[in-house]
Amino acid sequence: MDRLRVISFSAHDAASNMALDEAIAKAVGAGASPPTLRLYGWDPPAVSIGYFQEVEGEVDMDFCEANGIGVVRRLTGGGAVLHTRGELTYSLAVSDRDPAVPQDVQGSYMKICAPFVSALRELGAPACFRPINDIEVGGRKVSGSAQTRRFGAVLQHGTILLDIDERLLCALRAKMEKLRERGITGHAQRVTTLRRELGRRVSHGELSRAVKRQFKEQFGCKLDAGRPTSGELCSAPSLAERYRSVEWLFRR
Amino acid sequence: MLMVERSVSRKVKGGKLVKVTVRSEGGRIAEVRITGDFFAHPEEGLEQVERELRGATVSEVRKTVESATGGVTLVGLKREDIIEMVEECLE
Repeated sequence: MDRLRVISFSAHDAASNMALDEAIAKAVGAGASPPTLRLYGWDPPAVSIGYFQEVEGEVDMDFCEANGIGVVRRLTGGGAVLHTRGELTYSLAVSDRDPAVPQDVQGSYMKICAPFVSALRELGAPACFRPINDIEVGGRKVSGSAQTRRFGAVLQHGTILLDIDERLLCALRAKMEKLRERGITGHAQRVTTLRRELGRRVSHGELSRAVKRQFKEQFGCKLDAGRPTSGELCSAPSLAERYRSVEWLFRR
Repeated sequence: MLMVERSVSRKVKGGKLVKVTVRSEGGRIAEVRITGDFFAHPEEGLEQVERELRGATVSEVRKTVESATGGVTLVGLKREDIIEMVEECLE
């Protein structure tokens, strides 16, 4: 990987975010687009569930509907995630033949998470990678990631928690059960945020800048500030329609 | 014959939660669904496992899963977990 296209932070609805990640991964896999790091957010907030998850077991659909929270099934496996404004989400799409990303899944998570670990440390949080796909600070999860290998590409997306809106946690059924058992402190014991660890608010921009610096250094590549290509933007709306469809959301 | 539906959930090593649901008729699998927060590459490979298990009896589960998962990389879930859980649903 000599050059990495970086698409700067912007917030979108859940289906549009997933569609854009897929459109970019397809273009990267086909050799039409360069390796790409996209930084983004969620507006309105949303729950994403893993490719293999059952929506009924994971998401309180009534709560989401009543609170304007989107719900989307990801192309990637892994667990249900609540995405609020207090997080930075990323997606990295690289050709599956690019030697920068190891073939073995576990190794590739570690390699792709490494710049995020370093970025968190740079900001003062003693972060470390926790296999399979998490980043922790002080034994608490601050970031999770999920990966798929399709279209000739490796697509990994993940989130870093800057702050949390605990009222919205009710959207996640499993979290709610644990909260009922152990109270809100149970969640706070397993999950943390940068705000809590650093005692101050960290902006999307500040974290983004640290992440870009670390990608440049660790992947030894030149960063190109970029945008989605017209090809990617053209294919995204029909992909977004699929992500919005009942068939896709309830397919498992 | 009576259609029976059984589910087994398990927190597998590595912390992933997996649920297997089997609908069967007279000891033969009609449908299998494997859900949870694990990973499979390619994802469709796991759906292929579900399809190939249709029609299998408990004694055929191991062989079917072993051959169907040949080209699938499972992360956070072992092939053995699938076999055990499907068998348990049929017992």
